[in-house]
Amino acid sequence: MISLRGVSLLYPNGVRALDHVSLEIGKGEFVFLVGHSGTGKSSLLRLLYREALPSSGDITVDGIRVNRLPSRRVPALRRHLGVVFQDFKLLADKTVWENVAFAMQVTGAPTKDILRQVPRALDLVGLSHRSRMYPDELSGGEQQRTAIARALVNNPKILLCDEPTGNLDPANTTEIVDLLLRINLKGTTVVVATHNQAVVDRMRRRVVRLENGKVVTDKERGYYYLGLGQGQVLSG
Amino acid sequence: MDWGRVKFFLGEVARSFTRNTLMQITAIGTVAMTLMLLGAFLYVRTTLADLGNGMLAQIEISAYLEPNVTPHQINALRAAFKVDPRISSAEFVPKSEGLKELRARMRGIIDTSLLTENPLPDKFRIRVRAPQLVPAVAKDVARLSGIQRVLYGQQVVTRLLQLGEVLRRVGMALIALFLVVAGIIISNTTRLAVYARRREIGIMHLVGATNAYIRMPFIVEGLVVGILGAVAAIVLLVAAHAMFWPRILEALPFVRFNTAVVDVPSLILQLFLVGAIIGSAAAWVAVGRYLQT
Repeated sequence: MISLRGVSLLYPNGVRALDHVSLEIGKGEFVFLVGHSGTGKSSLLRLLYREALPSSGDITVDGIRVNRLPSRRVPALRRHLGVVFQDFKLLADKTVWENVAFAMQVTGAPTKDILRQVPRALDLVGLSHRSRMYPDELSGGEQQRTAIARALVNNPKILLCDEPTGNLDPANTTEIVDLLLRINLKGTTVVVATHNQAVVDRMRRRVVRLENGKVVTDKERGYYYLGLGQGQVLSG
Repeated sequence: MDWGRVKFFLGEVARSFTRNTLMQITAIGTVAMTLMLLGAFLYVRTTLADLGNGMLAQIEISAYLEPNVTPHQINALRAAFKVDPRISSAEFVPKSEGLKELRARMRGIIDTSLLTENPLPDKFRIRVRAPQLVPAVAKDVARLSGIQRVLYGQQVVTRLLQLGEVLRRVGMALIALFLVVAGIIISNTTRLAVYARRREIGIMHLVGATNAYIRMPFIVEGLVVGILGAVAAIVLLVAAHAMFWPRILEALPFVRFNTAVVDVPSLILQLFLVGAIIGSAAAWVAVGRYLQT
């Protein structure tokens, strides 16, 4: 479903965000990308939804060769992807319902599809009863669930999450992670970049660890710190 | 027709429009001023051009014949004038006729009984189809055999033609300048609108909205600004015309303006189109430049 081969990303200021990263993620997988801030997790996700282009290497997402994709085709790629961020990126002057519907309206979806799919997405994240409320009337967890509903409303095959629980307390974090798991069980490939050790260790899913722009470990049913006790830090 | 989509789209335009009301009003005002100037200029220019043409149309070329010209040569000249497409009429005036005309013109000014001999040569009185053609035709006629001298109001004609040309150029330059200013102001308004909505635009990009879709509301906004500016300009021009034109005519009774030559509906349509085009084009340029894709 997602494939990176020898991908490097060099920023104009000379920083090497990714250094010959190769990674295969299959259909329906649930993958954590872990590592300290600035190790390239977000950069890797940005490459997947084509917010950035790699300096070298090949990236394929759902059969689309992303690094060769002309700009005018980028919207088509993004409709196959759902993206969720730490800061939710909700529109404050739109209700929950409107925020979710927005993702369909701006892609020119017919009204009857919108009326069918928005309630379904809201139901999936458990926010049907909040649909008329505005983002600032919601808890952080509810805001993130709104963002997830928006990411899912176009039925993407892949959900990319960049620190989805970074702004949330432990209770809301658990709620969001459980939701991501439920979404994954329905067949959506989920990639979560996080540095939340508790979440990763509780879930025991595939863990890809990045350090200085390189994949240093890649383990099924992994821990945040591979093979090390909690609290210990791998050097490098 | 999917009314839900239309409603959403119009809602987006309206929201963006009302977010920047003051700037929008400035932009509409600038367009209105520019188009008023353009409209007034075109109106006055058409009227003045008609006035100038009226004066120029009275200009005729006098082609004086050599004293010993033969009837055969006269016929040849007549034929030559007839086939020249620039010449609308060529009338042969024998010297006896010329003298009669001169006497008639000078009656009361000088004592015409003093004219005992006829000093005039035969001539052709030539009229051309457009005043611009006068100098060229005069030059060509002078080369024909049997013609001694060609006279027309050389200086008057060239001066009038030059003056008209200068006025036209200055006017066009002024209007071009104003159109550029209006374009820049609309561009800036669009830039502000893009800036105010950058979060939404970011999210639109993220969920896969096409650039065309993202740009459309801004371009429609520019179009609306242009059209509202044009409507304001037309209303103000009509009002100003009703108020001031009669007074201008009154103040200049000796100038015979013929305002019937102005095609008012077409002028209104032109202003409307210019407003719509400048509005949408400026917005189009601005979103292209300020919308990161």
